[in-house]
Amino acid sequence: MSGGEGAGPDYHSLEQAAQWFALLGDDTVTETQRRAWRRWLNASPDHRRAWQYVEAVGRRFARLRDGDAALSDGTLQRARQQRLSRRRALKGLAVLAGTGLLAGAGWRYTPLPSLARAWRADYRTPVGQRRALTLEDGTRLWLNTDSAVNLDYDRQRRRLTLVRGQVLVDTGRDPRPLDLITGDGELRPLGTRFDVRQADRGSRLSVYQGAVRVRTARGGEERRVPAGRQVRFDGERIGPTGPADPSAEAWTHGLLVAEERPLGELVEELARYRHGHLGVAPEVAGLPVMGTYPLDDTDRALAMLERALPIRVRRVLPWWVTLEPAAP
Amino acid sequence: MDTTESIADLYTDHHGWLQRLLRRRLGCSETAADLAQDAFLRLLARPRRFDSPAGARAYLSRMARGMCVDLWRRREIEQAWLAALAEQPEPLAPSAEDRVAVIETLYRVDAMLRRLPEKVARAFLMAQLHGQGYKAIGAALGVSERTVKKYMARAMLECALLEVRLQREEGGDAAPLAAPADDGAGR
Repeated sequence: MSGGEGAGPDYHSLEQAAQWFALLGDDTVTETQRRAWRRWLNASPDHRRAWQYVEAVGRRFARLRDGDAALSDGTLQRARQQRLSRRRALKGLAVLAGTGLLAGAGWRYTPLPSLARAWRADYRTPVGQRRALTLEDGTRLWLNTDSAVNLDYDRQRRRLTLVRGQVLVDTGRDPRPLDLITGDGELRPLGTRFDVRQADRGSRLSVYQGAVRVRTARGGEERRVPAGRQVRFDGERIGPTGPADPSAEAWTHGLLVAEERPLGELVEELARYRHGHLGVAPEVAGLPVMGTYPLDDTDRALAMLERALPIRVRRVLPWWVTLEPAAP
Repeated sequence: MDTTESIADLYTDHHGWLQRLLRRRLGCSETAADLAQDAFLRLLARPRRFDSPAGARAYLSRMARGMCVDLWRRREIEQAWLAALAEQPEPLAPSAEDRVAVIETLYRVDAMLRRLPEKVARAFLMAQLHGQGYKAIGAALGVSERTVKKYMARAMLECALLEVRLQREEGGDAAPLAAPADDGAGR
């Protein structure tokens, strides 16, 4: 290449080159303008060097244009959208999500009574649906798939009971204290926004802004969990405090975000949004998954996984799907 | 030879903690090992002198942070591409090499466009990917042709600035990936 490398073009020449590029890019460009551009180009080595960079950028785009332009466009727009929604999602909230990690916890829901309670609950969502509500005190709730919540407000206090599933709470301004009760314990939000999920074997609380006080249902253990931290707990005990997972609240936007998460865990999560059985073969359950998956269309999420990983989606029966190693 | 030796020393002193740092960040020891290796390869390609172990440490952890961000963004693009592919009515399955090349290009292009306002990026893509004229772009975005031209200049300036940086990082001699085929003819 000609010219002193490392020196790079000066900003002013780059700016001019970009302006020439904009002028030449229109179909109304005249021969006179083209000649003027050539004069500019030949006027100085700085100009020529700057123009090389404009051409290099042009080549990158040309490569995309020669391939599948629509696909490239779709990719870039999607990446942009994801960034936007992530930025919005991270504004601050607390997540309490149930996990299967507290094996051996003494207390557990048996599915049947849980189902019966859910049917009588004040608000509930069926599998695969999410719902947003605003309560009389301005508190906003987002119910995740297969979830149910009871309300109990009186003059002194506000009480929400998570009967099953997961809820994100954005507390309204109100002098009365607000408590959220789950099968595993009580939460008193000291911040503004938090999200709760309970599963059969315990719960997880992640706090993104403010703080939440946890108190276990039977052990009576208490802890204040500050922003950016998370704990797992069951009816007896609270586990160690660790860093909060920033992707855990993405469900409010209909997304499941995985950052190096084992496939088995991801599938367990996806299964919450579908009827029927969704299984994963042990050979592939440990594959790390990275990416963002739609919760509103789990079939598409599965198709995406199938493309990204050496697996195939096997539909044994319409309601029975398993993920298996791809045929060699 | 002198530089290779100092690289060897740096490697002995710093490889362990760097890999641990990366593993903590990425949660995957294989990727962490790869990135740690890459970090030293980069140092080997462009040797630097450090005035103290603390200086080397600061430099390497800065580099590690950058590498994690790159990796994450690259994967973000890959996932976006997969999602866009899944949405195509008749997806043609690109070969593995094509896929790697196109994702690499998309990653670079996305890095160029991400700093631009929505409309500017949109206008630039309409012109560069779909070959649309300024008039059509202006009509689609509800702005004048003159504004579209301004958008083009602004977008190209941002892109070119990043291109300068990229080529410098790649060692100065690197023309972007593909051979500059028929571009640049006639001057």
